[in-house]
Amino acid sequence: MSQESQDGAFEKRTRAVLEESAARLDGRTLSRLTQARHAALEQLQRPARARWWAWMPAGAAAAVAVLAVSLWMGRPAVETPSPMEDLEFLTDADAPEFVTDGEELEFYEWAAGEMES
Amino acid sequence: MTAFVTLAGVYSTPDFRVERSREQEWMSSRALEQFLAGVEKRAFKIAQLSLRNDDDALDAVQDAMMKLVQSYGSRGSEEWRPLFYRILANGIRDMQRRRTVRGRIMAWLPARDAEDDQDFDPIAQAPSHEPNPARRLELDEAIGTLETAVAELPARQRQAFLLRNFEGLDVSETASAMGCSEGSVKTHYFRALETLRARLGEVI
Repeated sequence: MSQESQDGAFEKRTRAVLEESAARLDGRTLSRLTQARHAALEQLQRPARARWWAWMPAGAAAAVAVLAVSLWMGRPAVETPSPMEDLEFLTDADAPEFVTDGEELEFYEWAAGEMES
Repeated sequence: MTAFVTLAGVYSTPDFRVERSREQEWMSSRALEQFLAGVEKRAFKIAQLSLRNDDDALDAVQDAMMKLVQSYGSRGSEEWRPLFYRILANGIRDMQRRRTVRGRIMAWLPARDAEDDQDFDPIAQAPSHEPNPARRLELDEAIGTLETAVAELPARQRQAFLLRNFEGLDVSETASAMGCSEGSVKTHYFRALETLRARLGEVI
């Protein structure tokens, strides 16, 4: 028998022995291989389901933004004049007429007292 | 012409496109399942002979399956085999590296009694098929001897031998799976075969 055909025969025998060994795998190993295969293939189903989850962060951010805007818009309007506006008001010669008018001033003092009580 | 226009209209409807996409996904999934089912036992044996530990071998095979489906499932099926074995080979190499590091760490810790970890599992002990006792004994011996010799080959020779001889990849596919030239595959395979024949020629 030539070296080449001897090599071929040896290769065939070793392959047959290894295949026999693979065919003899125990039930636990076969079961785990099947589980592994199914777990791997489940990934193909995930993208369709993942699409819904993919929008979760954006959805949550949008919900937070809407909530923040509604809280901001719904809060009671409190106008706090800036110091510059106060200064302009006091230095305006026309507007605060009631300050220089004695009767009007008394009226406003009375009105302020009524509101406090 | 009218019929063509009518059919063309049907085939381009969103419902038809969705249906066809689902059908393609199903066929791709089916083809992948068949491929994985066809290679899983040999892949496990290859990992087991390299890692000499069943659990590690199962982990390596599962990891390779996951990565193949995740990253290369959309590739042509003719590319899957070399890609799968390339991923598996990388996984095995990473595990061997981790094991080396773990071994260094464990050397500092007190030894545990290995028997504490072993529970009897009747399913694990059940053989998948039963040849006659004499033939079984003969095969047991041949399998044990060959697997020991293969496991003791240098890593690259073992890889080339198992991919070429056991998995049946050609030289080009083996080179792709091993990430080396075809010339290197031939050299590794030839040396592996020489070593095995010198050691097992009379036994197998």
